[in-house]
Amino acid sequence: MNDPAVVAAGFDAALRARGVSAGTRRAGTFAETLRLLPPRDAEGWYWRARTAMLPSIDDLDAFHAAYLEFFGAIDDADALHRLVRTVNPPPRPQAPKRASLPPPPSERRAAGEDAERAPTQWIAASLEERVRDAAFEDLDDAERAAMLRLIGRVRIAADARPSRRRRVHPHGDRFDFRATLRGAARTAGELVRRRATRRRTRLRPLVFLLDVSGSMAPFARALLQYARVNAIARPRVRTFAFATRLTDLTPLLRRAGDDRLMAAIAETVHDYGGGTRIGAALHAFNDHHAQRGAARGGTVVILSDGWERDDPALVAVEMQRLRRLARRVVWVNPHKRHPAYEPLARGMAAALPYLDAFVSGHNLRTLEAVADAIEGDRR
Amino acid sequence: MPHPVDVEDLRQRLLQAGYLADGGLATALACAVSLQRAILLEGDAGVGKTDAARATAAVFGAQLLRLQCYEGLDLASAAYDWNYGKQLLAIRAAEATRERTPDLYADEFLIKRPLLAALGAPRERGVVLLIDEIDRADDEFEAFLLEFLADFAISIPERGTIAAAHPPIVILTSNRTRDLHDALKRRCFYHWIGHPSVEREIAILRLHLPDVSAALAADVARAAATLRQRDLRKPPGIAESLDWAQTLALLGAERLDLDVFGRSLGAVLKYPEDIATAAASAEGIVRAARAEGAA
Repeated sequence: MNDPAVVAAGFDAALRARGVSAGTRRAGTFAETLRLLPPRDAEGWYWRARTAMLPSIDDLDAFHAAYLEFFGAIDDADALHRLVRTVNPPPRPQAPKRASLPPPPSERRAAGEDAERAPTQWIAASLEERVRDAAFEDLDDAERAAMLRLIGRVRIAADARPSRRRRVHPHGDRFDFRATLRGAARTAGELVRRRATRRRTRLRPLVFLLDVSGSMAPFARALLQYARVNAIARPRVRTFAFATRLTDLTPLLRRAGDDRLMAAIAETVHDYGGGTRIGAALHAFNDHHAQRGAARGGTVVILSDGWERDDPALVAVEMQRLRRLARRVVWVNPHKRHPAYEPLARGMAAALPYLDAFVSGHNLRTLEAVADAIEGDRR
Repeated sequence: MPHPVDVEDLRQRLLQAGYLADGGLATALACAVSLQRAILLEGDAGVGKTDAARATAAVFGAQLLRLQCYEGLDLASAAYDWNYGKQLLAIRAAEATRERTPDLYADEFLIKRPLLAALGAPRERGVVLLIDEIDRADDEFEAFLLEFLADFAISIPERGTIAAAHPPIVILTSNRTRDLHDALKRRCFYHWIGHPSVEREIAILRLHLPDVSAALAADVARAAATLRQRDLRKPPGIAESLDWAQTLALLGAERLDLDVFGRSLGAVLKYPEDIATAAASAEGIVRAARAEGAA
């Protein structure tokens, strides 16, 4: 156990078992650290391990668990426990990470999978037609599977702005001295060809906040698929689910299968007790994400019917804040499709003054309108 | 060949340089210096990340080169640029005197920006390179840093690769407005600087503001700790409590009381909503800060 390389590799394995992927490069660094700066006491061991092997403060709890497990045998366990207790706790309760999610339910895939392979073309066509206009909640399993597939054809929301980076362009607006001079070397130092650069464009951040509580579930499923299609096609997309609390789905959305995604959402609605805490979810989003830059200069899409369980005044306060942090705020409320709809839900009424766009987004056809709303009309 | 730096020794020397580091930060810095590897310091705004770099430079008698990151930061302003005007003049001069055109990519035409300058530091006077708020830069710049951090080298197409004879001490800071790429983090030691304990904050206040009385410093540290537990938009960092203590001293306060508390809140809280929250429970905060002092 005295060989630093063995210790480092073993600890790396212990971390991996806890879902923290430190990696070989960090393990190598750790081994080198132990060799060059041999620790004298428990605290020395702890801090060397932490600075070399901890990938992010979010992983601190798992790191501590792995640390106690692995080094507990080497050192005095009591001292270790005391040490771990006194070090800085993670800054804020974060959304559950990938590793802490419950294992995916190994249930059979929905029957919809079979329906996807419709026997003849015309059936598919008529199914498509029906799916296009029916509200998401009225679809049966086969239709829902078709709908999820068709969402891939909805336009990707791409709201670009000029970047601070430039690239060479024949009709650029800024003289490029370096490229021009390099070109001049070929023409005996005569400046023959003028080269110029133009600003590149960069996509604005796009954030989805999806209410996944009971009545909203079918719509949330569709918008989640739309968020996923966007996340795969373009950078800077983040997705959150909320019911009574907020969960960051971003790391899961691009790679994880449906099972794991649904398990993560189930976690969110775990303590669901009738109604949604929109204000609290917005507060968490603003505090931990928007204010730190997740929404700055971008568009936030909120899906919810606006039924607030707590005080709607909080919704107003947080919406006002979000309005100042984001460039556009789009609210998707499927109930808006009814001609006689009035924003009577108290949370909805509170949020209304702070919206740039208010759309229904209840079926495939209106999902296009969501894309329009995200981009805005200043194109 | 790297040479080890003793952790406790470094901590003492940081203290002499006016920086009170805890065991974790001292270990992290000692590891980074000993192994000649970069260190990434993360933490909320105002907990002393940039100051740690300044103190490290003082400890090693090194020059501090600071690179403030922003979106669109490119090589021309971070690493190097060519002096085009001078190049052009050299061509014209050579033409006029019918001499051979000089080497346009010689040292005299190269403008060294912080990253390249850090590679050219002489052994006797090292360099601490502070890459500040790396989270504000974009992915392209992060990708460029990979080569720099792994080999302490920069490739210039016209010149080839320039490597450091004596690797600089590289400190990156991040406010965590976004997550950095793991490829970048893997190349660095990592340390999270949290808010200090009350005792440590008192010590920091006393260290930086010798004119402020012990009683007032203790009041400020305890009140700041209380404020951090409230649900605030921007909990005060050490930078804010330093400002606050200084402001209170300026207002002639011996201890924290309700009157100066209300008047000086703008020094420590920067959102009107936060100020309203604090003002609403002013009495409790002031009483808690002073009661513990009396006990």
